[in-house]
Amino acid sequence: MLPVEMIVNGTRRNGRVDPRKTLADFLREDCTLTGTHLGCEHGVCGACTVLVDGEAVRSCLLFAVQAGGSEVTTIEGLGGPDGELSAVQDAFRQEHGLQCGFCTPGFVVSVTALLHDNPAPAEQEIREALSGNLCRCTGYQGIVRAVQRAAEAAR
Amino acid sequence: MSASTAGRFVGQSVKRREDPRLLTGHGRYVDDVMRPGMLHCTFVRSDVARGRIVGIETEAAKDLDGVVAVLTASDLNPHAGTMQPTMLLTTPGAPLRPLADGDVRFVGEPIVLIVAESRYVAEDAAELVEVDIESEPPVIDVEHALDVGVAVVHPELDTNLGAEMAFPIAPELAALLDGDNAIRRTFRQHRHTPVPMETRGIVVEYEPAGGVLEAWMSTQNPHEAKQAIARVTGVPSHLVRVQGHDVGGGFGQKFFTPREELTVALAARRLGRTLKWIEDRRENLIASNHARADVAHCTFALDADGRLLGTYIDHLEDAGSFPIGATGGAGALVGLLFTGPYKCPQASLRTRAVWTNTCGRGAYRGPWMFETVAREQMVDAVAREIGMDPLEWRRRNVVPTSELPYTLPTGLPLDMVSPSETLEQAAEIIAYDEFRAEQARAFAEDGRLLGIGLGLYVEPSTGMMDPMGTETAVVRVDPNGQVTVSLGTGSHGQGIETTMAQVVAEELGIDFDDVTVVQGDSAVTTFGRGTGGSGTAVIAGNSCRSACAVVRAKAIEIAAHLLEAAPDDLDIVDGQIAVRGTPSRAVAWSEVARIAHLETARLPEGMEVGLEATATFKAPPFSWSNACHACAVEVDRATGVVTVLRYVVSEDCGVMINPMIVEGQVAGGVVQGIGGTLYEHFVYDDEGNPLTTTFMDYLLPTTTEVPTIEYGHVETPAPTPGGHKGMGEGGAIGSPPAVFNAVADALAIVGATIDHTPLSPDVVLGALG
Amino acid sequence: MKPAPFEYHAPETIEEVCSLLAEFGDDAKVLAGGQSLVPMLALRLTRFEHLIDVNRVPALSSWRRENGTLVVGATTRQRSMERDAAVADAVPLLAQATPLIGHFQIRNRGTVGGSLAHADPASEYPAVAVALGAELEIAAAGGRQRRVAADDFFVGTWTTVIAADELLVGARFPVWPAGSAFAIEEVARRHGDFALAGVACAFVGERARIALFGVGPAPVRAPDAEAALAQGADPAEVAALAVRDLDPSGDVHASSATRVRIARHLVERVVTRVQEDLRAAG
Repeated sequence: MLPVEMIVNGTRRNGRVDPRKTLADFLREDCTLTGTHLGCEHGVCGACTVLVDGEAVRSCLLFAVQAGGSEVTTIEGLGGPDGELSAVQDAFRQEHGLQCGFCTPGFVVSVTALLHDNPAPAEQEIREALSGNLCRCTGYQGIVRAVQRAAEAAR
Repeated sequence: MSASTAGRFVGQSVKRREDPRLLTGHGRYVDDVMRPGMLHCTFVRSDVARGRIVGIETEAAKDLDGVVAVLTASDLNPHAGTMQPTMLLTTPGAPLRPLADGDVRFVGEPIVLIVAESRYVAEDAAELVEVDIESEPPVIDVEHALDVGVAVVHPELDTNLGAEMAFPIAPELAALLDGDNAIRRTFRQHRHTPVPMETRGIVVEYEPAGGVLEAWMSTQNPHEAKQAIARVTGVPSHLVRVQGHDVGGGFGQKFFTPREELTVALAARRLGRTLKWIEDRRENLIASNHARADVAHCTFALDADGRLLGTYIDHLEDAGSFPIGATGGAGALVGLLFTGPYKCPQASLRTRAVWTNTCGRGAYRGPWMFETVAREQMVDAVAREIGMDPLEWRRRNVVPTSELPYTLPTGLPLDMVSPSETLEQAAEIIAYDEFRAEQARAFAEDGRLLGIGLGLYVEPSTGMMDPMGTETAVVRVDPNGQVTVSLGTGSHGQGIETTMAQVVAEELGIDFDDVTVVQGDSAVTTFGRGTGGSGTAVIAGNSCRSACAVVRAKAIEIAAHLLEAAPDDLDIVDGQIAVRGTPSRAVAWSEVARIAHLETARLPEGMEVGLEATATFKAPPFSWSNACHACAVEVDRATGVVTVLRYVVSEDCGVMINPMIVEGQVAGGVVQGIGGTLYEHFVYDDEGNPLTTTFMDYLLPTTTEVPTIEYGHVETPAPTPGGHKGMGEGGAIGSPPAVFNAVADALAIVGATIDHTPLSPDVVLGALG
Repeated sequence: MKPAPFEYHAPETIEEVCSLLAEFGDDAKVLAGGQSLVPMLALRLTRFEHLIDVNRVPALSSWRRENGTLVVGATTRQRSMERDAAVADAVPLLAQATPLIGHFQIRNRGTVGGSLAHADPASEYPAVAVALGAELEIAAAGGRQRRVAADDFFVGTWTTVIAADELLVGARFPVWPAGSAFAIEEVARRHGDFALAGVACAFVGERARIALFGVGPAPVRAPDAEAALAQGADPAEVAALAVRDLDPSGDVHASSATRVRIARHLVERVVTRVQEDLRAAG
């Protein structure tokens, strides 16, 4: 077991982990932040996406020990303290960008990162950027609209 | 048909009640459940499709630090009750057992259950288990599984034929089918699988002293799960509770209670420990349930004008080894619905379900939908053969609205549908004639292959089998006037907490925000149908309506008594019960509720205290919804890549409770159909070894493979209160043939033909030659 | 799907990494971006007793332009090759290739060195390295270093010349002359998937290099096609020469014949583009 310390959603988190424990499992179990989901555990579906030092990454492909010293943001860290939705979260709600909600945290985090890097993406850019996140319920229709809406709202 | 006037809530795209928690990471899915002393399970599974288990060595696994139990068939199977679902208790099926016992029947079959302190350790232990299997030649090809001399998948049965239904062929029909104007084609649909983003899972807590079993499960049907778990574990069902809070998609895979969930429940009961099993993605692909593996030999007999005179379908479905739910149940509908929305005086059919040494078949969004795949692809093939545009053929053969009700040649009564309207609307939205001109120009000038395809269908949307046709709602008003609705549903993405609150708020005349829906919990809801089979709007919605009618009538009676008015003169609007035309003579809904509970002396003489009602709605045997899908594609002649350019759905589901949710359901189904036709393929080699076991090989469509979907809505009445028809499955029914037909249409320009899916570059380039 | 246990090491210098590799040999694996390795560990398709995380070695994590060469440290994130205008200016093919790699979340962690060392037959960077005539820098314990030409570096499927006790420390991409033309194209089942076939090309004057990927265990140079391109041959002719001796394996995604067919088409497209670019440049 190795010690690990990181800042998660602005709070310092300490733990002792088996080095093979993924960041996703550390967040879900040790930090009890279960909003980050495991859809495949082999780096394809994107449901586990979190921000590490501001960059969107697949938390199932990072070991917790690798994130030591980093700032991690999960879905739980994007909205306001009283449950207010961020602009991206609200856009998903307005545009029906979620149904079962399982892929949603990964999408919302990815979209948050995308719009930070590219505040006014064209539709094709949105589609290409989000092609690494899988959804089975929405057919992506509401998701693409949500990104466009969030981008528009920020202007 | 004219659109009904949207109400204050029903007919509005109300934003979902579920969203805030799901968007902020506060959903409660089964893997989010943490219980004291909880242990973690994993299975050791067969890597052989068929064989005899010669030995199982578990000592090394048991000795591993952190391992609590290593269980085999001898530990669990003798204690298991039947694993058949409630609906099929009297129907013989595959001899399902918790763990493989003496032999294995598909790759992925669970053989050993390991219980450990973490999933990490459980998987370490799984690697230490040695299973010695003497492999035997498996039955993999369903089209040869009934040949003489082929091995039997289930030694307990003496055949690989799981179910068969055949109608006689009248001499007149036989003559037509043998005649000169008969056209024959064979269509195949390849094996693929529902793939909800959340895999299956269960947490089971058994408390031995009181004999109580509590389970949290990713399920579409908590009441079914409760019954199934009770049967398998022997715990009386009233001492079993199943909750599915947030469920990450199901599409039919989680409608019945699958084998592993039941096995883990049994193990928890035997061990007296709390167990968690979360299926991983590889297990979900290999061993949950498969679908869509069908073959049909079809015959259309036509007159000289291309009109249908008679049809025959000989359908074969691959049931796998241990199907979940009905074997051959969907097959019957494939035969019965084959002529779909077209006029046809005579039809006959044979449908068979056959066992193979593969993962069992289960429900997947429109389990019978192969009738639409086979028929609509047949329509296009036939139209091309006789030199008629496929749209024209459909126009010529579709049952016109003026001829409804129309009895299908197989006896099913078709009514209150609009296939001809949706056909015209879809053609108009996609600008069919303009597309034909564009198609011709693109080929003449640039050598490009564009294609357009249609998928027209009718869908029986209420479910005829008990208990799927029934739902019970409890509408309970508390002393503040706020309402709790309890339903035996299992929402997994379709927004039941929102749509049913819309219905109740509308029916009672109160605010949407004052209604909350409780569901997904067998302890606090009445036995219900779960969520599936396109039944929520019709069946759950109307059970809510029925219960609301009783509550509303009582509230009005109380108000009438308080206001000294006649009940018929009162309306409930925006939470006020007032005399029509005299708004000052009113009492608040919340006041009525308060009096009903807390000032009961003011109630009318003899009236029972409280304000709540329970009502059950049983769906009529048939209520149909329908749609027409239109798809435009480009086929790249050099690479075989198919691009979907446009996708249109004109659908009729009667009155929409929430148009935003309706379109969302359609969209999800359409993209599953695009995925299924172009990308998704579960592949076995000849030995029954799965080759597509991760998301790197089993390809789901992403944002870049699908266009923006365009919708048209037609609204015909339904034979049910509220005018709704079920539509959750429809998107996945019309899409595969629409996409296939579009590609076939493009390839036909250069004389190329396709006859199997998915339409990968290999298949398309192979057709192009 | 959880990985088998391993001992974890997070050294901070190249020398420490190499010492660990010398000590553990085949029982150790370098962990860089993890985007290829960790899935394989999770699926238990592979396992190592020791993982050596190289992400905390500062000497590996940066890139610089050194006159006529872009020197890229092995743990440079793929995203920085995509984002920085200086990369697009110095080595356009690298900037063009990077967006084809998977998805942006993968490129945020995936490294240039990791992709080269992993040597997946369908990946882009190995073909880019071959097309440009890049050199790979390999270190071993005791300060040993060697440089290997890309043409000699990729030996087979997931196999390079890196020995068990060696570490890839960087890649040196030559800056081609002004007016050079570059193109890379691939066809995949879905956006971001591994290529069924792909082609990278660099061309200036009479110097033409064509590297195909996805059609063999390692990137495939096409010397006859290159000669034809250098002599101004028709794109279709160059394409025919490029695929003449190809014999790729097929799999569930595409057969051998499909890959060859697609490769031929892509060579034609890529050659058309570079010829047009050179004509336009005058």
